[in-house]
Amino acid sequence: MWKRTARGRELHFYLAGINNQNFLMRDRETGSWWQQVTGRAIAGELAGSALELMPNDELTFGLWKSEASQGHGQGQRRFLVLAPVPGHGDKDYDKKWEEEVAKYPVPLTFPGQGLNDRDVILGVAMGGQARAFPLARVRGASPVEDKIAGVPVVLVTGPDGESVRVFRSQWNGLDIELYRDTQSGRQSDGKGDGQSPEWQLLDSQGNTWNFAGCATSGPALGQCLGRINFLKDYWFDWKNYNPQTTVYSH
Amino acid sequence: MNRSENRWLWLLLGLLAVFSLSLFLIPAFVIRPFRHQSERALGLAIAVKRIAPALTVAALVGVVALGARLWRNSSRWVRTGIATALVLSAASAVMVRQNYFEWMFNPITAAGFVSADDAHLDDKEMVMAVRIGQEARAYPIVQMAYHHILNDRVADVPIVVTY
Repeated sequence: MWKRTARGRELHFYLAGINNQNFLMRDRETGSWWQQVTGRAIAGELAGSALELMPNDELTFGLWKSEASQGHGQGQRRFLVLAPVPGHGDKDYDKKWEEEVAKYPVPLTFPGQGLNDRDVILGVAMGGQARAFPLARVRGASPVEDKIAGVPVVLVTGPDGESVRVFRSQWNGLDIELYRDTQSGRQSDGKGDGQSPEWQLLDSQGNTWNFAGCATSGPALGQCLGRINFLKDYWFDWKNYNPQTTVYSH
Repeated sequence: MNRSENRWLWLLLGLLAVFSLSLFLIPAFVIRPFRHQSERALGLAIAVKRIAPALTVAALVGVVALGARLWRNSSRWVRTGIATALVLSAASAVMVRQNYFEWMFNPITAAGFVSADDAHLDDKEMVMAVRIGQEARAYPIVQMAYHHILNDRVADVPIVVTY
């Protein structure tokens, strides 16, 4: 997800091609060619420009709904959901597309780092370093703590057992260690209806944190951890654009 | 007009038709799904795509002019050849103006939105979510995985949702 402005101009994008299973897009204003995965213009008048990343989440609808409607003067907020486009039904909006895509051949292969080409990873790039976290491992061992380019990060699976967020595990200038609150029971209540109120993480400083990364009790109450952008991607694709990537293995 | 001059003109006509066709086929071949594209091949494909609209028209004009000149003194077979060259050049000029990727994945021209309560989505369904200021938006991934691109504006910030 990107801000669609470059060199002070607002742009409108459209699909223009497929490139190693990502896509190429063009803007109506200049006809320049852009790579969707990097947000960079590779040809045309705007070649060399880069779009600014728009921080976003991949969440279950239930979790999004409960978070969007929680707290903070909800009356003024507007939360909207993209409606199905008329003329397109289940044939196009195929819920099994992910399984189907997984059967297609891959345009590139990168063996040797212990991952299969189509393993889903969460890619974090910061401070000139890149690391791939296998999604299955993150789901199984949340919260997953690591350091990338000297920065302590934590990958957290949400109360729905599906949604993942990445935070900078630092508060008040200190590195903090987060762990699951075993008192609050299983992290998923089985219904997957979003943020169960008892779901929380604890830290070594006596704080509790919710899935938005904000302290719900303790000395940090009301403050939030810094969010870190990541890309949910197939291993082969991440490796293609981040050749130096390492793979999380703890 | 003598025979050998005609032969050169036929050759030129054939080359123009092949040239025109390659302006469509080269990028179509490079930018095809499930195949690796090197940066160089992609660069070439895009360069060809950028000049193709003008060059296919020029080639078509050339084919028409040569065809008209050769038509009168040609046998039925040669006329068939001229007509084929003409059809191929015209088809090429049309196809390089088509965005066939949008035939496969129709774009969202006018996005509609519903409130969270009116959305008939399962709680388990994955959405892409963005929040800017007082506005939060969710884009169901099954929809984005088909359309791929949505130009939107959230809290007056122009964004492009891609999947």
